[in-house]
Amino acid sequence: MISAARRRLSVYAALFGMIPKMFMAYQIWFWVGLVLNIISMAILVFFWRAVYADTSTISGLGLNQTITYIMLAFIFMPLTSSDLVWQFGSDLREGMIIHQLLRPVNFQAMNYVQMLGGLISRLVWQLPMLFFAVLLFDLRLPTGFSTWLAFIVSALLGFTVMFYFNWFLACFTFYTTEIWGLGVLIEGMTFFLSGALVPLAMMPEWLRTAVLSVPFAQALAVPVGLLTGITPLSDAPRVWLVQILWIIGMWIASTLFFRVAVRKITVQGG
Amino acid sequence: MSVIEVKQLTKVFKIPKKEPGFGGAVRGLFHPQYENKTAVDGISFKLDRGEIVGYIGVNGAGKSTTIKMLTGVLMPTEGSIKVLGRNPHKQRVDNARDIGVVFGQRTQLWWDLALIESLNLIAKIYDVHPVKYRLMLNQFSKTLGLDELLKTPVRNMSLGQKMRSELAAALIHEPKVVYLDEPTIGLDLIVKERIRDFIKAECISKGMTVILTTHDLGDIEELCERVIIIDNGRIIYDGPIDTIKKRFGKFREITFETVEQVKTVHVPEGAELLSTDDRKVQIRFDRTVSTASKVAGAVMNQIEVRDFSLSEPDLADIVKQIYNGALDREGQ
Repeated sequence: MISAARRRLSVYAALFGMIPKMFMAYQIWFWVGLVLNIISMAILVFFWRAVYADTSTISGLGLNQTITYIMLAFIFMPLTSSDLVWQFGSDLREGMIIHQLLRPVNFQAMNYVQMLGGLISRLVWQLPMLFFAVLLFDLRLPTGFSTWLAFIVSALLGFTVMFYFNWFLACFTFYTTEIWGLGVLIEGMTFFLSGALVPLAMMPEWLRTAVLSVPFAQALAVPVGLLTGITPLSDAPRVWLVQILWIIGMWIASTLFFRVAVRKITVQGG
Repeated sequence: MSVIEVKQLTKVFKIPKKEPGFGGAVRGLFHPQYENKTAVDGISFKLDRGEIVGYIGVNGAGKSTTIKMLTGVLMPTEGSIKVLGRNPHKQRVDNARDIGVVFGQRTQLWWDLALIESLNLIAKIYDVHPVKYRLMLNQFSKTLGLDELLKTPVRNMSLGQKMRSELAAALIHEPKVVYLDEPTIGLDLIVKERIRDFIKAECISKGMTVILTTHDLGDIEELCERVIIIDNGRIIYDGPIDTIKKRFGKFREITFETVEQVKTVHVPEGAELLSTDDRKVQIRFDRTVSTASKVAGAVMNQIEVRDFSLSEPDLADIVKQIYNGALDREGQ
């Protein structure tokens, strides 16, 4: 029993380990991406400084707090990553999904560890950004151990919420096989609704309610809120609980949808 | 007990009529319009342990669809499949452990990574014991010449190299059932030969049950004793390869390129003059009656020949002839 579980764990660990290797296959992206990201971040910082030119607080948030939030949200954007739709789409289009389904491992678990591998790789790639943010824009990182712990737990939970949510959305590609529109739509929605552009506290009440009724913010605004102190640390257990409820709901919805969708599969070509 | 048992297997694809763009895709979600296409139409067969069967037919005959249903990724519309006593669609993951699959037109390897990385992972997923794995790798290095490829990313491989890698990936866990969907497609003669030898050494000698689809009669002749021919989703022949070979494999065609335009040539017994135009002379002969050297010798005695070539009848022709009832006529 234990040896079977250990064997299964080692399979998933191996699947997980493939991803950083694939990232390393295209090193040139790293440098191009880094330059682009620094420019984008500079634009965001200057924008918010301009907004705060005539005022010291907006919705209770000071300039430093807002800029810290914006920079951290930018750096931790990979938490929301919506690769699944693209991956399902291209796997279906090229017929690769057939080999994925023919692996003698749980298909969803296999994808989860691979997405997790992708997340960790991306976050490692973002580390230089953290360095530049501290150096150029005077980012001050929290030092408290419990703050980081609360953040990491919340980030993992939020990532898992988005994984199941994206899984649910990706099932649509089994029906449409047309993914470009869906993929772009999800990316745009993720950008706005995850809280990457504007802190949730600045949104009007009705908009904040709307944003919190879809899962995107769980992966970014919520954990980064804990990290920046916008959400007090004492709220962490409540925040986690809400995230766990999201996971359960999304897990049920995505599993049911997938079970139906996979029957629709028509591997193209050949 | 049969390893594979297929009864009245049918697959009807509902092919959506698509409108372009995202709007069209969304409309398609709510008001889908479909056409029905029957890809596989009530086929039945049984395979015993260690049998290797050539599953042939022209493009679009339903070969790949059958294979996909056998692997469990595609759900049959009707009929039943048992592979090693399991329903491959319902028990997809269990079934996957015991089968090996090569699709000649797509890869199961990680495109950007060195081959050895893919093989390591696959061995892990299929729970191949490390000692066994090393043994298999050594063996494959000999039979497939993998050594030079292990550190090459798959994207940098030639088609032949890729196919050798695919075979290694599909057989590293020594599956009981193997599906090879056009494993020799687009390969040169030397690689083909190597892959056939490999299939003989790895599958046939180890008693694996193999279904092989191909357009190359040479593959079938060398590897299979039994063939199933399908056309339009139906089985039109299921039986020994010998019958096919006797009927169709005995003819060869020689084409001579001549220095001058020739009107007529006298041919030896068992041969037949097909055409003489544009400085080309085409002769068909029966291998059981005559030989290539007899025919070529006789022709070269009469006329000056610049070049000549020998060809076998191709599969599409044979399938067409069988479909038109050629085998029945032969039997009478």
